[in-house]
Amino acid sequence: MTTLVEAPGEGAGAEPETTRPRPRGLGLGRYVLVRFLLILPTVFVLTTVVFFLMRVIGDPITAAYGDRLTAAQLRQRIHEAGYDRNVFAQYADYLGDIARGDFGTTFTDHVRVGSMLTTYGTATLELVVYSLVVALAVGPVLGTVAARLRDRGADVALRIFAILTYATPVFFVGLLLKLVFAARLGWLPVNGRLTTADEIALEVRGHKSGIYLLDALRAGDGPMAADVLQHAVLPAVALGLLSTGIFLRLFRTNLMSTLDADYVLAARSRGVGEWRLTTRHAARPALVPIITVMGLQVASLLGGAVLTEITFEWKGLGYELAQYLQARDYVAVQGIVVVLAVIVAVVNFLVDVLAAVIDPRVRY
Amino acid sequence: MAVRPSVRRLIPRAHGYQRGMLLAGGAVVAAVVVVAVFAPLLAPYGFAQLRDAHGYFGAQRPPSARHWLGTTVGGYDVLSRVIWGSQTAFEVIVAGTVVALLLGSLLGLASGYAGGRADGVLVALTDAIYAFPALLLAIVLAIVVSGGSSGRWSGILSTAVTVTIIFLPQYFRVVRAETTRLKHEPFVESARVVGVPRRRILVRHILVNATRTLPLVVTLNAGGAVATLAGLGFVGYGIEPTAAAEWGYDLNRAQSDIAAGIWWTALFPGLAIALTVLGITLFGEGLNDVRDPRLRARRTPRREPPPGPAEVRESAGLLDVEHLSVSFTTDGGTVDAVEDVSLTVAPGEILAIVGESGSGKTVTARSALALLPDTASARGVVLVRGRDVLRAGGRELRRVRGRDIAVIFQEPGTALNPVHTVGWQIAEALRAHRSITRRQARARAVELLDRVGIPDPDLRVGHYPHQFSGGQQQRIVIALALALDAPLLVADEPTTALDVTVQADILDLLRDLRDTRHVAIVLITHNMGVVADLADRVAVMRRGRLVEQADVRTLFAAPRHEYTRALLAAVPRLSVERPASPPLSGDTVVEARGLVVEYPGRLGSPAFRAVDGVDLRIARGEVLGLVGESGSGKTTIARAVAGLVPAGGDLRVLGVDLAGSRERQFRTVRRHLGFVFQDPATSFNPKRTIGDGIAEPLRAHGDPTAAEVRRRVGELLDAVQLDAGHAGRYPHELSGGQRQRAALARALALQPRLLIADEPTSALDVSVQQRVLDLFAALQKELGFAVLFISHDLAVVNALADRVGVLYRGRLVEEGERRQVLTSPAHDYTRRLIAASPVPDPVEQAARRAHRLADEATA
Repeated sequence: MTTLVEAPGEGAGAEPETTRPRPRGLGLGRYVLVRFLLILPTVFVLTTVVFFLMRVIGDPITAAYGDRLTAAQLRQRIHEAGYDRNVFAQYADYLGDIARGDFGTTFTDHVRVGSMLTTYGTATLELVVYSLVVALAVGPVLGTVAARLRDRGADVALRIFAILTYATPVFFVGLLLKLVFAARLGWLPVNGRLTTADEIALEVRGHKSGIYLLDALRAGDGPMAADVLQHAVLPAVALGLLSTGIFLRLFRTNLMSTLDADYVLAARSRGVGEWRLTTRHAARPALVPIITVMGLQVASLLGGAVLTEITFEWKGLGYELAQYLQARDYVAVQGIVVVLAVIVAVVNFLVDVLAAVIDPRVRY
Repeated sequence: MAVRPSVRRLIPRAHGYQRGMLLAGGAVVAAVVVVAVFAPLLAPYGFAQLRDAHGYFGAQRPPSARHWLGTTVGGYDVLSRVIWGSQTAFEVIVAGTVVALLLGSLLGLASGYAGGRADGVLVALTDAIYAFPALLLAIVLAIVVSGGSSGRWSGILSTAVTVTIIFLPQYFRVVRAETTRLKHEPFVESARVVGVPRRRILVRHILVNATRTLPLVVTLNAGGAVATLAGLGFVGYGIEPTAAAEWGYDLNRAQSDIAAGIWWTALFPGLAIALTVLGITLFGEGLNDVRDPRLRARRTPRREPPPGPAEVRESAGLLDVEHLSVSFTTDGGTVDAVEDVSLTVAPGEILAIVGESGSGKTVTARSALALLPDTASARGVVLVRGRDVLRAGGRELRRVRGRDIAVIFQEPGTALNPVHTVGWQIAEALRAHRSITRRQARARAVELLDRVGIPDPDLRVGHYPHQFSGGQQQRIVIALALALDAPLLVADEPTTALDVTVQADILDLLRDLRDTRHVAIVLITHNMGVVADLADRVAVMRRGRLVEQADVRTLFAAPRHEYTRALLAAVPRLSVERPASPPLSGDTVVEARGLVVEYPGRLGSPAFRAVDGVDLRIARGEVLGLVGESGSGKTTIARAVAGLVPAGGDLRVLGVDLAGSRERQFRTVRRHLGFVFQDPATSFNPKRTIGDGIAEPLRAHGDPTAAEVRRRVGELLDAVQLDAGHAGRYPHELSGGQRQRAALARALALQPRLLIADEPTSALDVSVQQRVLDLFAALQKELGFAVLFISHDLAVVNALADRVGVLYRGRLVEEGERRQVLTSPAHDYTRRLIAASPVPDPVEQAARRAHRLADEATA
């Protein structure tokens, strides 16, 4: 699912048609403020949509225990939890909770959804960072090469590679990697974030940040850090390939269009060398639309992270989400979904600010 | 899929690997569809079959003769599940694209056209959905739609609904964006001006043109549908195996097999997903590339590497072009842009190369720096300071460019890199050739900015290009050209993008550089006034060939070639005497008092007042010319009079009070209005014939029969001196001048009482312009309509107008009888405007320049 959801206009290499306020002419501070305030309606729309959708199917108690409890027991539990009240009253309470940062408590095991952010969110963050390291190390470089060698053999090959990476579902890539490198060759572990022994060792030490690599390094435990990295390789590559293809394509099309720009021709007419034309003249203006589109990709990256976690039993938010789905714990599902949506909205905001900082037309 | 018919036309346009992508993608898609349709015949077993006559299949059996791809953990035949799965995928694609396509496009169309608050809310809503991780939305929706059950139809329905909701915003976004762009296109506005009903505008003009990017979105949508179905199946929301075969579900079940080394259960359904999405994506991207000319693969002629250092002739001058020919490889074959051109430029000389569009003047000049696109191939010899640049290698060329020869570009706004300061750009040019310190480079940049007349160069050196005005940007481009003391400058239409008063300053600067620094200049221009002002020698080009070369005074006084004579005769002149027009009489057609037009500011920034308290009046049969520079509000006034922008103050057009009335009241007036727009390229709907466009006003106000329409269109085409056969042609089959004449025919279709013409000839070559203006004047005399004529060119206004109004920053600074205003202007700005317009006569222009500079010196 994660692969193809992107703005179609961007294929043209033009600035994508964003309906957000155009930063032109505003001061940076003012732009940041306006853009920040725009998070609120986004989050509001999302929470509202999710809330009412989840209520359409009935109350969470029947969903979770409908097949195990009697009708009377169910009614009793529903009443106690307040799910028989007016739906708008429930909605108002829910909004109030969200505003206080309370995303609800899971049904089946009574965990606060907010606290999941610190326990499982860090795992998701670690995975996303590793995958971005992979993607950023490969995608932009290959995209630049493709743009410079436009329509030659290398460009065609890279183009096909990019399409392959975002046309193949991330979970299938994950399964293939596991099949080859874990099951067949036995070079890398199949699942999880650590071997059980290390997991226990980490637990015993306490004071963990949840980011295993940091925890291992802080404890000065070299072998454990190696273990963390070994476990991270396959998930990071699976998720990273997805973004690699997208970065490759973004850099290719946008660089192709800025390399054709008049100011590049003008710099060439002054005797500036081709390498410098690419890195100093074409790359930075190309970054502005690239970053804007990357903001739109955050959502698909997070969706990919959920699937990757399930594939590799990487115990992050996505893996937990799948567990709660199995248990039909819809309070937990709703909570995690809203948390993830808020993260997307905030990251989108940060990305737009970054794009504005790179473009001097916004700064002054 | 809906894209098929267009594909047939596209494949010939595609070539190389893009054609391969299209064909391979199409073949995969076709194969999936065939397998889906014939699944019952192709699959060896049913999708939920566990046993046959020989007994149970058994779980996780490796591939064998009975089960080519093995069996699953549930004991099904893998091959059969993969084949049947294509059916499920196909059903989801169809169900998930049709509704999203229709609903999203219609919403986008309505929202984009209506604008306003409803549009804002819809945009916010779709943006929110768009920013939401699609997989999460899919999960929530799957729970809601299927309620947790997962039968065949509920499973397909829930996926289809999910896909529809995820992709609806994308259709909405692209169609809305296209609609907002299209609704201000001249062909749409000209339909609005004559009162074509809104529904007709939406369907005939906007919808047919807004579907440009839809095929790509459809393929994205189809690929997304397959991926969503599989993703849901993978997280456990798939269809039960007994209800239908689904690849994602099978992958989910195969997960635990992996660790045990059982590869066939995961590999084949995964490959099926990947291949299907890959096919659709290849097809979609191929389509996108081929349809977008910027992305289409370019045919590049094979270039021989230079055999070594280029030949250097000691005896040569600054620039010697010998028998230069340049041709371009295009999709339509080879086009010769320059044929056998020879030129020389001596130190300190200004050579003007003049010609109309397509004459090859720019290509000739760019050859001097070997700055031609990859699709060009050049023959002949171009020597810069004796060095043959067409045969020079990369390193050698870099040394020549900037140091021996430098360029000034037409559009200063695009020739400067927006993300670097001007100081950085100057320093870079310096450091590309010399090793100097940062501090030295900066000092030199300040010095150069000062030299080209940028005030406060010390401060301005750290500013970005967008912080300068257009004229200042051009000065900075000149500073960049001067950075390395190149003895030769190529100025490619250096003042075409600038206002006439700014143009005069830039021409003064160029002349000064020649006089003080002995710089030679190759001046590319189409403007005979600029030639007369600046050039020493003139080369006239036509269709790639050099037709005449002469000293500037000789050329203007005694042109030898017929083409040069025609070109000079076609230039409109301010000095042409026409009898003074009779004073204002007759009924009033347009009357404005205190006219104000404001464009709302964005996000709380103050509104921009484009027109600020203008009074004007046009009497029946009278031509009012409005002149002014960019930003003076002249176009806005034209649009306000046509009812295209809301206006404040008093504005009465043909007896109707426009400021107070709503569109419905104004509609009765619209049949008496005609509008001719500036840009001939977009003045007609590209999807409809010229005849259709001309007939549109007739159909909007009446119900003529086909025969009547044909007769009237024929008459109108005849009136604008076009063949009746042009009625059946499409806009792109006509030249710019022909299109502008057809636009005039459309504007005159209902014999309007008022014609509004917004720079109708400024995009045309001078000889074409003359024809259109002559025609215009003749028709006006014959039919007697009143005209509001907008132009930036005083000479053009002189040729047509009875009265002239001069606009400056939204205000009418002077208004009166044409001769009066143009020969003895009362307002200082009008005087400056007239003084700055170069006249196409080198002798007179030299005197005018001297006079103007003396005036400025005393002032």
